[in-house]
Amino acid sequence: MAGTSSRKSGSAGTPTPSSTETDLVKEAEATRASAGYHLIGKRTPLIDAALKVTGRAEYTDDIKRPGMLVGRLLKSVHPHARIRSIDVEEARRHPGVAAVLTGDRYPTPFGVLPMTHDETALAVGRVRFLGEHVAAVAAVDEETCERAFELIHVEYEPLPVYDDPKVSREPVPVKIHDRALRDTNLQKEVFQHFGDVPKALEGASQKVKLSGKYLGVSHGFTEPHCTIAEHTPDGRLTVWSATQVPHYLHRSLSEVLGMPMHRIRVVKPEVGGGFGGKSDPFPHEIACAALAIETGRPVKVLFDREDVFYLNHGRHPTQNDVTVGVDADGKFLAMDIDALIDGGAWSSFGVVTTYYNGVLAMGPYRFDNFRYHGARAYTNHPPSGAMRAHGGTNMRYTVESVVDEIAARMSFDPIELRLQNFLPPNFKTINEFRITSNSVRQCILAARDRSGWEEKYRKLPYGRGIGVACGFYISGSNSPIHFTPVFPQCTVHLKADMDAGVTIHCGAADIGQGSKTVLAQVVAEVLGIRMDRCRVAAVDSDTAPVDLGSYSSRVTFMMGNAAKAAAENLKVPLLQAASELLEVPPDRLEASEERIHVKERPSQGVPFHEALHKAMETKGALVASGAYSTKPLGGTFKGAKAGTAPAYSFSAYVAQVDVDPETGFVHVENVWAAFDCGRPLNPLAVEGQIEGSIHMGLGQLLSEGLSYRGARLMNPSLLDYKILTPMQMPKVECLLVGEDDPEGPFGAKEAGEGPLVAALPAVGNAIYDAIGVRLMDLPITPDKVLRALEEQRKKGGAVKPPAPTRPSKRTPTHGGR
Amino acid sequence: MHLDAFDLHQPTSVEEALALAQRHAGKFDFLAGGTDLLPNYKMHLNVRPHLISLDHVAELRAFRPEAGWLGATVRLRNLEGSSTLRRRYPGIAEAAEEIATPLVRASGTVGGNLLVETRCFFFNQSYPWRQALGFCLKADGDQCHVVPQKTRCYATFSGDLAPALMVLDAHAEIAGPGGRRRVAVADLYDPKGDGVRRTKLGPGELLVGVQIPPGAEHLKAKYSKLRVRPSFDFPELGVAVALEEKGGKVARLEIALGGLETYPRLMRAQTSPLVGERLTEERVKALSEDLVKAVRPVHNTFLAPDYRRKMTGVYVRRAIGALRSGS
Repeated sequence: MAGTSSRKSGSAGTPTPSSTETDLVKEAEATRASAGYHLIGKRTPLIDAALKVTGRAEYTDDIKRPGMLVGRLLKSVHPHARIRSIDVEEARRHPGVAAVLTGDRYPTPFGVLPMTHDETALAVGRVRFLGEHVAAVAAVDEETCERAFELIHVEYEPLPVYDDPKVSREPVPVKIHDRALRDTNLQKEVFQHFGDVPKALEGASQKVKLSGKYLGVSHGFTEPHCTIAEHTPDGRLTVWSATQVPHYLHRSLSEVLGMPMHRIRVVKPEVGGGFGGKSDPFPHEIACAALAIETGRPVKVLFDREDVFYLNHGRHPTQNDVTVGVDADGKFLAMDIDALIDGGAWSSFGVVTTYYNGVLAMGPYRFDNFRYHGARAYTNHPPSGAMRAHGGTNMRYTVESVVDEIAARMSFDPIELRLQNFLPPNFKTINEFRITSNSVRQCILAARDRSGWEEKYRKLPYGRGIGVACGFYISGSNSPIHFTPVFPQCTVHLKADMDAGVTIHCGAADIGQGSKTVLAQVVAEVLGIRMDRCRVAAVDSDTAPVDLGSYSSRVTFMMGNAAKAAAENLKVPLLQAASELLEVPPDRLEASEERIHVKERPSQGVPFHEALHKAMETKGALVASGAYSTKPLGGTFKGAKAGTAPAYSFSAYVAQVDVDPETGFVHVENVWAAFDCGRPLNPLAVEGQIEGSIHMGLGQLLSEGLSYRGARLMNPSLLDYKILTPMQMPKVECLLVGEDDPEGPFGAKEAGEGPLVAALPAVGNAIYDAIGVRLMDLPITPDKVLRALEEQRKKGGAVKPPAPTRPSKRTPTHGGR
Repeated sequence: MHLDAFDLHQPTSVEEALALAQRHAGKFDFLAGGTDLLPNYKMHLNVRPHLISLDHVAELRAFRPEAGWLGATVRLRNLEGSSTLRRRYPGIAEAAEEIATPLVRASGTVGGNLLVETRCFFFNQSYPWRQALGFCLKADGDQCHVVPQKTRCYATFSGDLAPALMVLDAHAEIAGPGGRRRVAVADLYDPKGDGVRRTKLGPGELLVGVQIPPGAEHLKAKYSKLRVRPSFDFPELGVAVALEEKGGKVARLEIALGGLETYPRLMRAQTSPLVGERLTEERVKALSEDLVKAVRPVHNTFLAPDYRRKMTGVYVRRAIGALRSGS
């Protein structure tokens, strides 16, 4: 495999395969350009990029506090056991040890969702997975912590080990948590039924059922978890942590430590990637704070990669069955899903995950009948949690494989079959999702036209293939996790002072995705100033108003709206001041190019800083606030809020592969990634998200997976857990064809998670086109491909699947909706 | 993970290194690039209190590709970067450039790769991981978890250079308390040993370098490596082939296989019958099937053993095909 990774944006110089073809990407770009924004929609390098690439950006582990101790956490050596006793006296007396804590000190359970608090800072009376923390040590250095571990005597009484979610579904002698359902080890079960699925399937002319099997996967972010805590003599606690959810951490610290929130300060320094792996408040964060309180000294807990794998919270190991029935013309009639997901030892976001595995499945397609049964099992594996495209990735692979299989069996072109079944824009789905903007048609047509689909589908030589898949994801969870007290999803504060700079305070966590840059772009756009006038203050709960966190792809949409509102509020006194200077009414003025001027006569105006200074004459620094709250959405049935979002992203990816039939190696050559994120605020960052998503998705598809023998994780290292190398990246073309969303800031929707989901099934379907085998057991390692080919040869020979025979009514790029 | 304290010795000659080895018998490791040893130390795998660094021993750094001499502490990066080596011994250059990553190759050495610690799921793990398992007979325990029993370790030989050198009939120069000796690289490894006792190096013996014999530069040679990712990964299978044909018949054919068992094997029993024969497609196929039958990988690497056996046949056929077609 040659290292031929290259990148290409959809924006410039991409050749159209045929001159007769209309170019949807260029059309979308032209439409967006007509709005005339000066910063929005421009390819903008992230405002912290120069600091990061020169090593100047400060991550948690870079922070040094005077007298800081090293905190380390002793891991359980049993996957499931009662703790009969823990004797820490000898460890406490060991020279250099400042404190040793066990679970009984802060036993209050917590968790990210208020209804499922089943985690504790340290194990209380019981361990539930290998690697769970049973004691915390603060000492002068790491070596002393490890010596202290040897002096901690834990007496365990082993309990039955549950490593199979199927077993957790049955009555069990020992429940992993008392709160598990009935006499089983199920954490959550969901039943939903809309329309009449059995009847619709009975009347279907074709029914296709596929079962998918997925190993758990890890986020693979660069920066391991790290927390520093310091309890000062004024009775205040400061916690610096690598987190996506500073506000939820703030709440959990308060609840577990019994300290009021106003005496706790949570700071989020730069974060080296999260992908959902830092979106829970974690036991080690609370244990670190407890050690700081105990010792009166700053304490740092830094994970190594193995610790990260045990904390896990990665994508759930999943088994799912998806059945779709269609009529003779290829109209989708009904979808029936059964999913069993392995939650590991804790709940985490599990209630949400269990819902998402069903409610997001219909995705970009219209169904009038839908049934879902989902269950999440507790097991003695490290806890699963939220990971990029949470609950929407594994199920999407099975669904898109089913759609491809329907096309194959009914002799449709899979693009034409999808085009017949897309949800229209401005539509209410059977499970009462409100769909507003939706450019999935443009996505699939753009990917078709750019990829040369019609010359390739079923026409490439054996071993090479092309496949298509679509995607759909929430642009922010409509319902906040906490229902009381009621407050906005996001608030932004601005301060403009004598220096003519604007300081932006916001609790939104930039974890590398570029939300600070979006903040600066939005504020500068509204005020008509250069971006470098905007300074984004680090997330610090003492000064930043609350944002609920970087999860569920909510930040651009919600923070963007809040920032826009704040900037518009800040603009009011500026226009007023300029109005006084210019003696023109404020409604005839606008702000652009660092000036406030008369709309129809730009030469008549004042510089931004003069208007600002005028406005400050009596009130001093200008401050303004803006907030975004979601409106009520969704039905009234049980679980109706799950999956509701103020907008949804859509996508269609085409992938081309080269499969070696003798070795089973899959080489992904190209991905044409058409994505609808509404108006991309920063196309450069959106492309980064798409390329990163493809890298992550192909890793899960081809080689990543948490490999367990029983309850033992066999590959807790980046050598044995096989993230793709850059050498394996396909050539990616990003095609941004979305139209403005009516409620998104400047028409934007999410681009953080949605770009992942279509990548996996597009490649899976391309493999089917290449060699005629459908692989439903991820990761698709070469040995699995070879085994499938051997089965196929036994059945009659290695051939490509037949080409579609349905009369080709090729949907034109325009019209035909 | 932290590195326990150790005494670092920095001899400047082979003799001094050997004397230190005598003095600290049983309590030392030689340290070359450290890319394998030090991570293992961090995992508390068979840690010794003395490290004898070979970095300042000039003799060991000698690199004379034009004369077929590779000193033991020549960096892997030097091998891949040498046009002379690539021209004369392409199989060695191919093996070198496929080892680990550019950063590792900048430190890793010829000797380190030849004598690299065998690897296993149950061995290359942190101390707490192994503690939870109850340890294994390669470190701190007495039980093998791959093939459950208590006498033989099945850890897999994971070097890449050894097969590439073996097919050229390279010899290793060894210095020890009794003086210097040369053995074929193929005989450096102990077929009667296991994942723990894997070489025939005596206690206190030191690898000085490797001599590739004159004439080897006329062989066509190739190294192919099976692994999931085209970088980072240790071999799941390494196939080295050297071939010379005269008048359409095989004058010399050597195949060595690594990444499958506890030591790399030169497969003479399978290749020698072909000398003097025409290398027809049927014969290559039969040879590859014989090799598949001869190897016994176990399940302690990423890819399943049956797959690695099958790939042995495929990789051998492809390597021979590539050598004959000149690609």
